[in-house]
Amino acid sequence: MRKLILNAALTLALTLVVALPASAQQLNLDFPDLEERAEEVVDVTLDASMLRMAAKFLSNTDPEEKAIRDLANGLQGIYVRSYDFGKEGQYDRKLIDRVKSQLGPTWKPIVTVRSRKKENVNIMADMRGEQIVGLVIIAAEPTEFTIVNIHGKIDMDRLAALEGHFGVPNITTEKDHD
Amino acid sequence: MNLEDDLKRALHRESPAPGFAGRVLQRIEREEAHAHRRPIWWRAVAASVTLTALIGGWAAHSIHEHREGERAKEQLILAMRIAGEKVHYAQQEVREIGSNATKEK
Repeated sequence: MRKLILNAALTLALTLVVALPASAQQLNLDFPDLEERAEEVVDVTLDASMLRMAAKFLSNTDPEEKAIRDLANGLQGIYVRSYDFGKEGQYDRKLIDRVKSQLGPTWKPIVTVRSRKKENVNIMADMRGEQIVGLVIIAAEPTEFTIVNIHGKIDMDRLAALEGHFGVPNITTEKDHD
Repeated sequence: MNLEDDLKRALHRESPAPGFAGRVLQRIEREEAHAHRRPIWWRAVAASVTLTALIGGWAAHSIHEHREGERAKEQLILAMRIAGEKVHYAQQEVREIGSNATKEK
């Protein structure tokens, strides 16, 4: 009996040791004060089951949709909050630190773009060896604040390649020309 | 004595009219057949109603699932577009800095 309990405890401990680092970290992305002040809010919450469902509806023939489906295959969740304010100074820049403080020790900053004129972008990845198993993108513009949290294995180059697709103009390129 | 005679007369055994038993049996059969026919008809109605409800429920569920799927697809495309746009911008900025540094050298 004692041996049985010991075995069960060991199995549970091993499961936790293996499962915890593998599970992606879900962040608290609720900012009700921002929602109230924003003129436009984008709120996307797709867990693993919703992602599987969405993937079923993506076209097999359309190259962009196919690319998205391939990218989404390794994911466990995507969470996006984007707030568009009509004027500047509607949010506290400390929000970036508030999001960053939620990240564990396995998270590393991979790209930080600081610009006075354009947007500031912080990209942090949950690295497991060479593999990215989680991604947080924080983009702060004077009148816009966006956070993207992706759980699961993700290919950054393939993700970046999606920009400008779906008939949507290449926004960053257009801004650069301004 | 009269009472005794009256009772004997009233209670004496009398044979039924010819064909009485046959008529009784026929009537029983007719009523049984009638009684059986009604439940079958009602069962058919009940089965149709149940089937219609099942098909209707399934159709409603399919429509709901389709709508949910389309909504999830749109959300996924939007999320990927936003994420892709931000990563692309960051990559572009890094490349720009890299090329400027090379030019300066």
